Amino acid sequence: MRRPRRLVTFLFWCGASFVTLFPIYWMFVISAKSRADLFGRPSLIIDSLNWANYAATLSDPTFQLYMLNSIIVATCNSLLVTVLALLATYALSRFPMAGKENIFFWTITNRMAPPAVFLLPLFLLYTQAFTIGDWKLYDTRIGLILLYCVFNLPFAIWILRGIIDAIPKELDEAAMVDGASLWQILTRVILPVARPGFAVTAILTWVFAWNEYLFAATLTSVHARTITTGLAEFVTVTGTNWGLMAATAMLTLIPAVVFLGLVQRHIVAGLTFGAVKE
Amino acid sequence: MQHLLARTALTAVTMMAVTSFAHADFWSDAAKPYAGVTIRGVSESTPPSNYVKDVLAPAFTEATGIKVEFEATSWDQMYDKAIKDMEANTGIYDFVYIEQDIIYSYLARDFLVDITKALADDPSLKAPNFDIANFTSFIDYFKDPTKSNDLFGVPMEAFIKVYLYRKDLFEDPEIKAAFKEKTGHDLAPATTHEEYSEIAEFFTQWGKDKGIELWGTTVQAHSGHPSSWYEYVESVAPTFGVYNWGINADDNYGASVANGGEMNGPEALAALEWYLGNLAIAPPESTQSTWDEVAATFAAGRAAQGLVYGENSAWIATDPAKSNVVGKVGVALPPLSEGVLAEVEGGTGYIGYYDGGAFGIPHSSKNKEAALLFLEYIGQPEVQADWAVAGARITHTATYDDPKVKEQDAKVDGYYTLMREKGPLFAGAPAYPFHAQVREAAAPYFYEAIVGQISAQEALDKMAEATEAELTKLGYRK
Amino acid sequence: MRSQRTAWLLLAPTLLILFVFGVVPFIYVLVTSFLHWNAFAADPTPRFAGVDNYRQLVFDDQFLYAVWITLRFAFFAVVSEIVLGYLLARLMMRDFPFKGFFRTIHALPLMVAPIAVGATWRLLTVPGLGPLPYLLEHFFGIDYRIGSYPTQAFVTTVIMDIWHWTPLVTLTLLAALSSLPREPFEQAQIDGASPFQIFWHITLPYLRPAILATVFIRMMDALRTVDEIWMLTGGGPAAATRYIGLYIWRVVFPKTDYGYGAAISLITLYLTIVLCWLLYVSLVARKQKKGSF
Repeated sequence: MRRPRRLVTFLFWCGASFVTLFPIYWMFVISAKSRADLFGRPSLIIDSLNWANYAATLSDPTFQLYMLNSIIVATCNSLLVTVLALLATYALSRFPMAGKENIFFWTITNRMAPPAVFLLPLFLLYTQAFTIGDWKLYDTRIGLILLYCVFNLPFAIWILRGIIDAIPKELDEAAMVDGASLWQILTRVILPVARPGFAVTAILTWVFAWNEYLFAATLTSVHARTITTGLAEFVTVTGTNWGLMAATAMLTLIPAVVFLGLVQRHIVAGLTFGAVKE
Repeated sequence: MQHLLARTALTAVTMMAVTSFAHADFWSDAAKPYAGVTIRGVSESTPPSNYVKDVLAPAFTEATGIKVEFEATSWDQMYDKAIKDMEANTGIYDFVYIEQDIIYSYLARDFLVDITKALADDPSLKAPNFDIANFTSFIDYFKDPTKSNDLFGVPMEAFIKVYLYRKDLFEDPEIKAAFKEKTGHDLAPATTHEEYSEIAEFFTQWGKDKGIELWGTTVQAHSGHPSSWYEYVESVAPTFGVYNWGINADDNYGASVANGGEMNGPEALAALEWYLGNLAIAPPESTQSTWDEVAATFAAGRAAQGLVYGENSAWIATDPAKSNVVGKVGVALPPLSEGVLAEVEGGTGYIGYYDGGAFGIPHSSKNKEAALLFLEYIGQPEVQADWAVAGARITHTATYDDPKVKEQDAKVDGYYTLMREKGPLFAGAPAYPFHAQVREAAAPYFYEAIVGQISAQEALDKMAEATEAELTKLGYRK
Repeated sequence: MRSQRTAWLLLAPTLLILFVFGVVPFIYVLVTSFLHWNAFAADPTPRFAGVDNYRQLVFDDQFLYAVWITLRFAFFAVVSEIVLGYLLARLMMRDFPFKGFFRTIHALPLMVAPIAVGATWRLLTVPGLGPLPYLLEHFFGIDYRIGSYPTQAFVTTVIMDIWHWTPLVTLTLLAALSSLPREPFEQAQIDGASPFQIFWHITLPYLRPAILATVFIRMMDALRTVDEIWMLTGGGPAAATRYIGLYIWRVVFPKTDYGYGAAISLITLYLTIVLCWLLYVSLVARKQKKGSF
C-alpha cells in the first residue's frame, strides 16, 4: 500500500519543484542570454550560453567585497539573534513577570512599521550620534548587524516562544534538581528538544538579513555595502542592466543555498520524536 | 562592454600619462597639500559614471595622490543619500552627481559650493586647461542666475532625446510603394505630428498584415513609473508649444488656463491626445516601458519610429551584442507643430530635452579643495574624446571635431552633428526647485489617462489642479 | 533562580537593542509627524503643524485607496500562503525519496532578494520578452498585459507574493509538525477518531502558536511590502498596485515630504497593530474558551 503513495507524493513534489524553479530558471536565462537575444523574442531555450555577465561579476572585486559583507552581516546577525532570542524567550516562558504578555506583543510592533521614514533618524544617529572621534557607526558591518536585530529579534522570539512553551517545565525542574546551572539547562535541555525551531529561526533570520535592501543602502556607503544593494545599483536612470543583475542575483543565491543546505536537516530532526499519522 | 571599456581605459591612461606629463607640474603641485586625502562621491552606475570610476578616478589618483572612493547606487537612492548628507551637514560626500533636473532644487537650498568663486579665491587650484568656455551650451544649466551666473557643477554627461527611425524600412522599395499608394505622398522622416501618426499607423498595419512583430512607434508609457510623464512634459508637450510643463512662473505659478498657465489648454490637449493616439498603435509592452525598455524595443526591431534618449542611440546603432538594428538607424529632429520651430529659434521655449548631469561639491564636504581638483580633472579637454566614445556623451565643443567621435558619428547617422547644430534648440528641465514634488503630485493622473480610466482633458485638468495645490502647500504659490 | 531579576537580565540585551535602534528612531518619527517639513518647500525648515498632517491624510484619496488595496492584497496573499503552506508541510512529512533535496528546492524562492524577485517577474510578464504573455495568449487566449489591466496586475502581485513567501510558512509549520508529541495522536486513533477530528481537535491547537506567528509575520510584511512590487509594476497600472508601502516610499523619497510621510507611516503602523491585536485576541481567546480537552 505504501508504494503508490510514495510515487504519487514524489511526482507531486516534482511538479511543485517545477513551479518553484520556473522563475529562477528564467532568471538564469536572462543572465545567460546576450541582450539583443533577450529582447529579440521570448524564448525559454538558450541557444548559446553567454557567460560574460558571470565572468564580469565574479572577477569584480566590488562584488567580492559585497558578498563577503553580506555573508558576515547575515551570519553574525542570525547568530546574535538566535542567542538573544533564546535567552529572552526562556525568560518569557519560564519566569513569572509583570507585563510579560505586553512586552511580548510590543517586541513584534518593532517590525510592523513601513521602514521608509525611519531612515532619516537612523541616518542621523549613525552619522552623528553613534560616533567615537572620527569613527562612525555609518558604513560599518556592525551597524547593520545591530540594526537588523530590530526586525529579526521579534521574529525569532515569536517563533521560539511557542516552541519553548511546549517543552514541559518538568524537564527543567528535573535538571535543576540535578544541580544544573541556567546555562546548562539551556544547552542540555532546551536546545536539543527545540532544535527544529532553532533551525527555522536561524534560516529565516539569516534570509531576512541577507535580503534586506533599504537600510543597507542608506546606512552603508563603500565599505560595508551588501550584495542586495549591489543589485539595486543596476537600476539606473538610463536603464536597468538586466543581464548583470540576473547574474549577480544567481550568484547571490549560492551562499544562501549553502547555508540552507547545512541547516535545513535540523528542521525535521524531531521526526522520530513526533509523528503525525494520516 | 567590458573589453571595450578595458581597451578604452588602456588608451586613456596612456594618453593621460602623456598629457599629464605636460601638465604634471600643475596636478602634482596643486595637490601637494592634499596628497593622501580620500574623497568620496556618489553617482549612478551608468556608462559615463562607470568610466569616471574605472578610468578617470584611478588616473587622477596617479597624478595627484588623492584617493577617490566612488559610490554607485540606484537612481532613487542617489538622490536620497546626497540630499540627506547635504541637509544634515554630515560631510559624507565630497562630490555628488547632480542630474540636470535637480540642480535648481539644490541651488534653492544653497547646498553647493560656488565653483567660480572657489577658483577665483584660490588661484593655486585653477588648472591651466580647465576653462568654462570649452563646454557646450549645456553648462549654462549649472549656473545660478541669482549669483551672477557662477558655476555650481561641472558637466560630465549630456544627451538630447531624438527621433529615431528605421532607415532600412524607410528606404525599402516595397514599403515605399505601399505607403505612396495608401497615403498619396512619399515616405520620409516625419516633420509634423500628423505625418508621424500617419507613418506610425501605416507601419502598425503593415506589421499586422505581414504577420511580423513590427509597430509604427515606441511610446514610453509605463503606467506606474514617472518616465511616461517625463516623455510627455519633456519631449512631447514642447513640440506642441507647451513649455515648462505649462506652469507660468511669472503669474504666481499658475498651471491651469484659468490661472494663467497652459497645462490644460488646447495645445496641451493636442499633445496628450497625440501621445495617447500613438500608444494605441504601439507594441503591447509600452505600458510597461520606461526609457530603457523603449530603447530595447527599438533595438529589437519592433518599432519603425520612436523618441529615444541620446545615450541609447549610440549603442542601438552600433553594438551588435545589444541591438538587432545595427546600421539601420536614422536620426532626426522630433516632429513639431507649426510655428514652434520659429518660436524656439526666436528664443522662446525649446523643442526637446537636453539631458545630462554634472558633478558638484556640497558645502558639507570636508575636502572641498581636493574635490575641486577632481572636478577640474574630469573637465579637462584631454579626457573628453575617449569618454565620449565610451559613453556617447559630449560636454565640450571641441570633442565634436575629434576623429574618434567623428568616426562614431558616421555610424549613428550623425547624432553628434545633430546635437552640435541643433543642441541649443533643446533645453534642460525648467528652473523649478519643486521639480520632484510637482511630478509626484501630477503623475498619478497621467497614469490614469494612460490606462484609460479618465479622458485626456480630465487628466490635464486634474494635473493642473494637483500642481497648483502642491505649489500652494509648498509655499511657492500664494 | 526563578527570580524576576534573572528574567530581566535575560531580557536585558534584547530590550537594550530594541530600545536604542527601534524606540529612539520611533520617537523622532513621532515628533516629525507633527511638523510641516518638506526639504524643497519654499521654506524648508521644519515648522510645527499640530495635527495638520493627520487631518490631511483623512482626506487623501490616494492614501485611503492605497490602504484598501493593500488590505485586499494582504488578505488574498496571506490566506493563500497559510493554506498552501500547511498542505505542503503535511505533504513534506510523508515518506518519499529525496526529501532533503525537494525541501531545499522548495525553500529557494526565500533566498532570492526581493528586488531580484520583482525584476525576474517583471521580465517574465513583459509582452514581447517574457514567456508568460506568450504562453497565456497561445494556450488560453488571454491578452496578458499587466501594464494596462489593473486586475491582472493585482493578481500577478498576489501570485508573486505566494511564490516568494509560501516556503516561509511551509518551513515553520514543518518544524512545528515535527515537534508534535506522539501520544495524543496515538490515543485518538485508538479511540477511533476520524482524520478530520484529529486535525481539528488535536493538530490545530498544537499548531496554533506556529500558525499565529506565521500569520502575523506574513500579514505585517505583506502590509509593508515595497521592493518586489516596485520592481514589478512601479505601482501601476495607475494606482492598482500602489500599496501603502509604495505610497509612503514615494512621499518620503522623491517628494521629500517628511512630515506627512511620518504621519501616514504611523497611521499604517497603528492599523497593523490593531489588526494583529484583533487576530491575537480572537485566537488566544478561543484557546482559553476551549480550555483543555
